[in-house]
Amino acid sequence: MRAAELDDLTEAGVEQVGQPVRRVDAVEKVTGRARYSADISLPGQLVGVIVRSERPHATIASIDTDAACAVEGVVAVMTGADATQYAWYEDDEPLLPRVGDTVRFVGDDVAVVVAETESIARRAAALVDVGYDDLRPLTDVEHVDDDDAPTLLGNEEIETEAEGRGDVETAFARADVVVEGTFRTPTAVHNAMEPHGAVADWRGDQVDVHTSTQGINDVREHLARRLGVDHSQVRVVCEYMGGGFGAKQVPWKPTMLAVIASKLTGAPVKVMNDRRSENLAAGKRNATTQRVRIGAMKNGSVVAIDAEIDTEVGAYSVPGEESAVQGPYLHLYQCDDVRVRTRRLRSNLGPAVAFRGPGYLESTFVLESLMDELAVELGIDPIDLRRRNHAGRNQQEDVAWSHPDGILRSYERVAEESGWANSFDREPSERIRRGRGFAAHDWLAASATPPGHATVEFNFDGSVHVGLSAQDLGTGTRTVLGQVVADAMGVDMAHIRLSLGDTSTGPPSPTSAGSTTVPTMAPAVRAAALAAVEDLLDAAAEHLEVDRNTLSFDGSSVQSTVADLDDQPLAELCADLSPRVVHGWGSKEATPDDVSPRAQGSAEAEVEVDLDTGAVRVTRIVVGPDCGRILNRRLADSQVLGGVTQGIGFALTERQLVDHHLGMVMNPDLNEYLLPTASDTCEIVHAALDIPDLAANEVGAKGIGELPLLPVPAAIANAVHDAIGIRFHDLPITRQRVLDALSARDRSTTNDEQESS
Amino acid sequence: MSLNPIAERYVRADNLDDVLRTPLDESSAYFAGGTDMVPLQRSGVTSVETLVDVKATGLDRSIERHGDRWRIGALTTLAELEDHDGLADDVGAVRAALRQVATRQIRNRATIGGNLLQRPRCSYFRDAQIDCWMKGGDGCPARDGLTEYLGVVPNDSPCIAVQPSDLASVLVMAGASVEISSASGTRHVDVADLLAGPTPDRRSLHSLKHGEIIRSVTIPTGNHSHSTYVKAMDRAVWQFALVGLAASVTLADDGTVSKASLVASGVGSVPHVLAASAAALVGKELDDETVRTCADLAVDGLRPSRDNGYKLSLLTGLVRRSLG
Repeated sequence: MRAAELDDLTEAGVEQVGQPVRRVDAVEKVTGRARYSADISLPGQLVGVIVRSERPHATIASIDTDAACAVEGVVAVMTGADATQYAWYEDDEPLLPRVGDTVRFVGDDVAVVVAETESIARRAAALVDVGYDDLRPLTDVEHVDDDDAPTLLGNEEIETEAEGRGDVETAFARADVVVEGTFRTPTAVHNAMEPHGAVADWRGDQVDVHTSTQGINDVREHLARRLGVDHSQVRVVCEYMGGGFGAKQVPWKPTMLAVIASKLTGAPVKVMNDRRSENLAAGKRNATTQRVRIGAMKNGSVVAIDAEIDTEVGAYSVPGEESAVQGPYLHLYQCDDVRVRTRRLRSNLGPAVAFRGPGYLESTFVLESLMDELAVELGIDPIDLRRRNHAGRNQQEDVAWSHPDGILRSYERVAEESGWANSFDREPSERIRRGRGFAAHDWLAASATPPGHATVEFNFDGSVHVGLSAQDLGTGTRTVLGQVVADAMGVDMAHIRLSLGDTSTGPPSPTSAGSTTVPTMAPAVRAAALAAVEDLLDAAAEHLEVDRNTLSFDGSSVQSTVADLDDQPLAELCADLSPRVVHGWGSKEATPDDVSPRAQGSAEAEVEVDLDTGAVRVTRIVVGPDCGRILNRRLADSQVLGGVTQGIGFALTERQLVDHHLGMVMNPDLNEYLLPTASDTCEIVHAALDIPDLAANEVGAKGIGELPLLPVPAAIANAVHDAIGIRFHDLPITRQRVLDALSARDRSTTNDEQESS
Repeated sequence: MSLNPIAERYVRADNLDDVLRTPLDESSAYFAGGTDMVPLQRSGVTSVETLVDVKATGLDRSIERHGDRWRIGALTTLAELEDHDGLADDVGAVRAALRQVATRQIRNRATIGGNLLQRPRCSYFRDAQIDCWMKGGDGCPARDGLTEYLGVVPNDSPCIAVQPSDLASVLVMAGASVEISSASGTRHVDVADLLAGPTPDRRSLHSLKHGEIIRSVTIPTGNHSHSTYVKAMDRAVWQFALVGLAASVTLADDGTVSKASLVASGVGSVPHVLAASAAALVGKELDDETVRTCADLAVDGLRPSRDNGYKLSLLTGLVRRSLG
């Protein structure tokens, strides 16, 4: 059954859906029984450790592996010479460099030591002697236009991508006010608890790959292409995953290296990144510099938006980088004249990859900081200003949003939960200032990315099996899809099991990225479940020799309107029907073309700023994500807690520090890359909307992952401005930045006083 | 599951006298809490071949009051020190500081002896691939690099790393000393002297000699009215101090300050004693004017570099906050 044939899921059809059902795998996780990729231990398994470049930009002069090979317990040392046929990142870039090839960032993969234990492999890796002929590096992309800037891979010609509509310059000419500024957002690193990596095991001409990934099918297809084998010869398994946030939506080198190391040694091989590798060579959020102007009329109506953006992509182009930094400027507000020019700049730093709302987080911070400034300048309430500029449609494609008023409902809910209309004490004590800030956001995905397919079959005891090849990133896919199936069939969730996280257990499902798994797979499993019920009734009619139209199924038995026919308990009926397998197939193959599916929202933040110490403490955050129908409030709240916390980190503590003289990342660890701790969080309020968006898909659920993150940094920065009157253009807002800004203001105030006296 | 040893050899010593009698060769080191040694060895910044674990040697792990002194065994963990009510009542700054040190998990492991002997937390020092003077190299790449977390107190060495310990400032403020043993006997040294900035022939933040062991720390009982420790970090917990301040003040019957001590962390290669600031308090009431003068004097003589001028504002602010 195609999802397009489904009736809309209405309130009458939900019982489990919407309930705060506990994760079906909660006990496995908290008791440590859930198996993650690094937990896989196969007989005879070897461990591979990657030797990484110590130089930001160099030609490999020599690779001497003799000392490493001589270490007892070392099975192989793999270099570019052992992998000449394999490319990675870009089609003509080698998986591992040979002598004469170029390494392009500190941490670039050079060789792999495969040994009996990790300890031996690590010791031997330190003995691989790599000679480098240094080339001049470029790690600070502010210097990319210098006459003597080195030419990097992909920077040979720097293109400017232009998008937009109308005539920006003419529009600025008639604007009453213009707010503008240059903003910088930092490189943030995903730093998922579980690193990237894999265990690969060749058996005959096919390979099993246990890997931490957001897209088992994508990994399968990508590896098959690189290896030159059929998709069917690669099986990819990701039973549980310890966080991805976008960095695992594509396969990475450790996975491919495990695969070819297993082939080379004839044994299962595990290659997992350590924390340093995670920080250097496993993806990151692009750093951006954004020069932005917004023109508006006195009534607050935005008439022109112009953004020039440089975004740093690192040394290589990774599929799945997907920084959509132009999106918010094009879509968040009604505006006829918009221009966004973007340059994607290469550097001698690790490659960027999607990170929860890629590009959107960076430009939402900028756009919403300037909208706040506009509100201050015009004396218009920040929420009211945004209402006045509401865009109900995709102005680029001239098609309505799937839920045009969703963001307006978000404004209402956030204003209500935050007490926006109430008075607010901005000076609780002599040296403490308080402030509150508001920000809105758009998000482009959160809708289906077909194809998504699923099967549902009744076992011979009447229990239900759902087969699909999606994966559960830890967000609760297993649980919510079970809820959807339970409601479609009326069967108790306890009797439903899903097989997922294995390319061999189900038909194709999409990569879990952009919060698209639920919108794609919920309709697919619902269609499959309803098809299985249809098949059950067909089979029962045949078996009982009654008219199909007299039968119905309530989840536990098949009933008939025929007077003398007893109810048929499901278990007995399925046993009787054996060996016939009662089953259904469901598919989500299309997205609507008459509307533009969209998930938008907003946030309010409250902060305290300590004038003596520069400390910014977030005290409360309210978010109102329009994620459509909430399938499971408990899991939605979980996404809110995580998203808001990441937003606090991006606003206040997280950044990759680079020494541009050395061309090195200076904080590739969790000591100095400052993730927010529990103590850095605050009261987090989910102003839930829970409005089914049935124009977006048949179940009405959009994704939620990005939504509670996107508006948070801007809301915090706006709250800081409200507290101390200083607008920060650079994130994160560190002690250094706050204290330097306060000092600069004190100095200028003192000077002004001296001048006037 | 295979464990990754952090050194070639591990020796668990069971008798302190034997340990002291046996010369410690250059490639060996004593090992207790390991909260610094383990990451140093793992990252390749140090390459100690033999670790001599002294936890079972009978070195003291105790907190005792003897008359007007607290004697704290070298193996006492920071958590035990933090939890000691008598000590907290007497020298409040100890608990105030320890509560802000790293995490409780780390405080459960880390010993007071090791806390005073940490290697620099400078990220240039901590990266094995970077050549730096403190690690035996030539210059200091940090001086031309990222100095946000580094020192503002001028010193004569190429190194601008700061003493990372919060507790060290409290101990200097309180006039604490350490008992040090070696093959040649036992000596007592003030913490203020143990912690010494690097010199051309000694590339470390302390003056303990190879083969010496700290046996105990002695803190004079609190002969002040009040003491505290305030600390600034970029996040709420679990970061070395951007700037920290140990402060103690004793008030006379007339409400004026009879004695004061202020010692700052995060600004210099040793706990930085704010002598002029403390002197400015003596004989005065703690009014706004006095506090302002004291705070302004705190930054005298400091020389910030490109990224760390904020540390001066921060130090001034923490002085105000600690006296407020």
